[in-house]
Amino acid sequence: MMKPLTAAALPLFLLAAGHLIDAPLEAQTAAAQQATSTQTKAASKELIESGKALFRQQCAFCHGRDAGGGETGPSLVDSDLVKRDKAGSEIAGVVRNGRPERGMPKFDLSETAMAGVVAFLHDAEASNVSNGKRRGVLPSDLRTGNAALGKQYFEGQGRCSTCHSPTGDLAHVGTRLVGLRLEQRLLYPNRAKTKATVILPDGKSFSGEVAYDDEFSIAIRDADGRYRSWPKIPSVKVQIDAPAEAHAELLAKYTDADIHNLMAYLQTLK
Amino acid sequence: MTKTTPMIRLTLSIAAASVALFAQGTTQSILEKPPVDSWPGYHGDYSGQRHSHLTQITIDNADKLGLAWIFPTGQGATIKSSPLVVDGIIYVTVPDRIWAVDARSGHQVWAYTYPPNKGFHIGHRGVGMYGDWLYFLSADGHLVSLDGKTGKERWNVEVADATRGYWTTMAPLVVRNHVIVGVSGDFDNLRGYLRSLDPETGQTQWTWYSTPPEGTPGATTGGTTWMTGTFDPVLNLLYWGTGNPTAVLNGKSRPGDDLYTCSIVALNPDKGSLVWAFQPSPHDTHDWDAVETPVLVDAEFKGQPRKMLMQTSRNGYFFVLDRTNGKSLLTTPFGPVNWALGIDAKGQPIPNPAKEPAPDGRLVAPDEGGLTNYRSPSFDPTSGLFLVDAHPAYGIYFAKPTDGDYGWAGADYTVWGKGVLEAIDYKTGKIRWTHELGPFGSGAGVLTTDSGVAFTGDATGNFLAVRTSDGKTLWHAGSGAQIESSPITYELDGRQYVLTSSGGILFAFALPESLAPRKLSTE
Repeated sequence: MMKPLTAAALPLFLLAAGHLIDAPLEAQTAAAQQATSTQTKAASKELIESGKALFRQQCAFCHGRDAGGGETGPSLVDSDLVKRDKAGSEIAGVVRNGRPERGMPKFDLSETAMAGVVAFLHDAEASNVSNGKRRGVLPSDLRTGNAALGKQYFEGQGRCSTCHSPTGDLAHVGTRLVGLRLEQRLLYPNRAKTKATVILPDGKSFSGEVAYDDEFSIAIRDADGRYRSWPKIPSVKVQIDAPAEAHAELLAKYTDADIHNLMAYLQTLK
Repeated sequence: MTKTTPMIRLTLSIAAASVALFAQGTTQSILEKPPVDSWPGYHGDYSGQRHSHLTQITIDNADKLGLAWIFPTGQGATIKSSPLVVDGIIYVTVPDRIWAVDARSGHQVWAYTYPPNKGFHIGHRGVGMYGDWLYFLSADGHLVSLDGKTGKERWNVEVADATRGYWTTMAPLVVRNHVIVGVSGDFDNLRGYLRSLDPETGQTQWTWYSTPPEGTPGATTGGTTWMTGTFDPVLNLLYWGTGNPTAVLNGKSRPGDDLYTCSIVALNPDKGSLVWAFQPSPHDTHDWDAVETPVLVDAEFKGQPRKMLMQTSRNGYFFVLDRTNGKSLLTTPFGPVNWALGIDAKGQPIPNPAKEPAPDGRLVAPDEGGLTNYRSPSFDPTSGLFLVDAHPAYGIYFAKPTDGDYGWAGADYTVWGKGVLEAIDYKTGKIRWTHELGPFGSGAGVLTTDSGVAFTGDATGNFLAVRTSDGKTLWHAGSGAQIESSPITYELDGRQYVLTSSGGILFAFALPESLAPRKLSTE
C-alpha cells in the first residue's frame, strides 16, 4: 500500500553476490533445505513466536505477514538467501545494513531480536515448503513463450544483438540465471555498471564506475579503487555511459508476448 | 530592585494574559483560515493545496536559506508525518511516538510514548488538533486524545481491531466537533471504513463503510481510508480517497467495479452519508489506492468558474472533477501508463483485462508503488500549476490460482523506476515542466508558496527549493538520509521557516537574521 519504488530487495542482493548464482539452483536448494530443517528443530517455539511478533510489527508491511511477500518486498519463504542462511549468517547483514538504494531501510535489532526474526523466517520457510502454498514465481511459470519467436525478437525488433551475443556475454545464461531472476535482469539489469568520464577545465580527465550521481555532484571509483568526486558546474564536463538505459527504453515498447518469448529463448541458452 | 518588582509583576501578568488570549489551540476558524504562524492540520488548511501565502523567501533570496535548527528524534524510524504548528509548538510523530517541539528553537517541550503493541509499525502521518487536544492513532488501532500542553493522555478508544488485521497510521481530520479517522489493513479481506468520533468523549458519531460486510458473495472487501481527506466548509462536504480492493492482485472473486474501493467519495461530515463517488480505478488488481490528496481548487475551467477537486492518482491518471457533484472535467495520464483500454463516459479509465496479474507475468506501468503515492502534491493558484512528485516505473505482476483469493494473492516486482517533479497545467493536463529527481524516486512531498518558490526533495536526500514557474533549482542542501515527508512552512517573530525532515530528523530552514531579523509580532 505505501512504500514507493522499492525493487525486489533480496533477489537483487542475491544477484550482487555473483559467485552464488553459478552453482546449480537445485543443489543450492537441497542443501539449504536440509540446513533449514535442522535449524528449525533447534529453534525454540518461544524464539519463533518472539520473532514472529517483531516481524509482524517491523517487516510484514513489505514482506507480508507470513513472510510470503507483500507490498514492494519479495517473499522470504522461497528466498535462496533465507535458505542459505545459517543462524543469521546472511539475514542479519541485510537487516542491519538495509538496502537503502532499493528502499529497504536498516533495522537496528538486538542480538536476541535478530535471533527471533531469523528463527521465524526459517520456520516460515520450512512450513511453507511443506504446505505447498508458495506465492513466489517459479521457473516453470515463466516458460509460456515461444523460443523461436524470442530469437527473432532478439535479433530483430528488440535490437538486443546490438549489445549482446548468445555465445558471448549471454553464453549459458539460462543456467546461470533461473526463473524470475533471469526475467528481472532481462527487463532491467541492475548490476550493469554505469561509467563516467569527468573532464576538468585544464583538460585532465578521469574515468571510472559511477559511485554517486545527483543533480549537484558526480563521484567515481577510478582504476585504483579511489573514490573521487566533483561538483556539477558548467566548467566540469561529465560524460555518462549507462548501458542499462537501453533496457529502460524498451519497457515502453515490449508486449507481454515479447517478454515471454525472450524468456523462452534465453532459457535455451544452457 | 524591590521597587521594580511590582512593575515586573504587572508586565508579566499582561504578557500572560495576552498569551492566554492568543494561545488557544485550534478553533474552527483557525482550521479554515490558518494564521501565518500556524499549520493546524495535516494539509495546512482544509483544501489540500499545501500552498502558503508566505512571501519572505523569494526566488531572489532562496539561495541564502540556511539552517535555523534541527531536532533529532534520536530513534530509528523515519519521519513520514506532516507536523502541526499551533501556538509556537510543533507536533511531530513516528509510530508510537509524539514530540512537542518549540517552533522557534527546536527545543523539546514534551515527548509521548504509546505502550508497546503488536500493530503494524509501517509509518505515521501525524496528529489532529481540536482546541488544546491532540488526536493520535496508534499502530494497533486506538485513537488517543492528549493534552497538547503536556502530552498527558486524556482517553484512549479502540477504533479498529488490530487482531483482525487492521492498523492505523493517518492524521485525524478535525471538522467542527468531529474527529474523523480512517483505517489501514489490506493483508486481510476486511472492510474499509471512515469513522467520526466526538472530540470530547471519543464516542463514535458515525461510521461509513466503503465496502459490503465480509463474506458477502461475489463482493469485494478493502477500500481502506489511510490518508487524511479534505473538506469544503461552504458545501459542507468531506472528500476522501479509498484504498485498493482485497484480495489485492486477484480480482476473480470480486467481479465488477468493486465499489467503493479505489474511489474518491464526498460525504456529509455530520451524518457520514455518501453524497457522490468517482472511481479512479474500477476493478483494481494492481494495489493502486486512490487515497492521494483530493485537492480542492476554486478557479476557472474552460471559461467557467468552478469548484474543482484534483487528484494525481496512484494509478497514473490526473483527474479534475466538479466537486459539487463528482462529474469529470478532465482525465489524463501524467506519466507512463499501459493498463487501460481508454476512458469511459464518466471519465474513469477502463481497465484492460490483459494487464491483470497472470501466472506468467504482465509488464505494467506504473508499478505497484504507483505514479505517485502518499507524499503530498501542491497546487499553486498563481500559476495554475499542480506540482507532484511522480515516479514513472514499470513492474511485473503475477497471480495464479494457487495464490488464492485472500490478502495479497499474487506477487509483483518493480523492474525500473525514477523520480520526477512534474508541473501539470490543470486546465489541460499537459505537463508544463519536469525536474529529474533521481533513480528509484523520492519520498518527498511538495509545498508551494505565494512568492513562486516550491520546496521538495530528491531521491538522494537533497532538500530542494525550485522556481514554481519552470522547475529551476534555486537552493539545495544534502540531508544524509531518505526524505519521506511533505514540507510545511510558518512565520514566527517575523521570520519564515520551512520545516522538512529526513530520516528521523526534523530540519527548520530560514533566511539569515541579517535579512530576516527576529521581532515580536507586537513591534
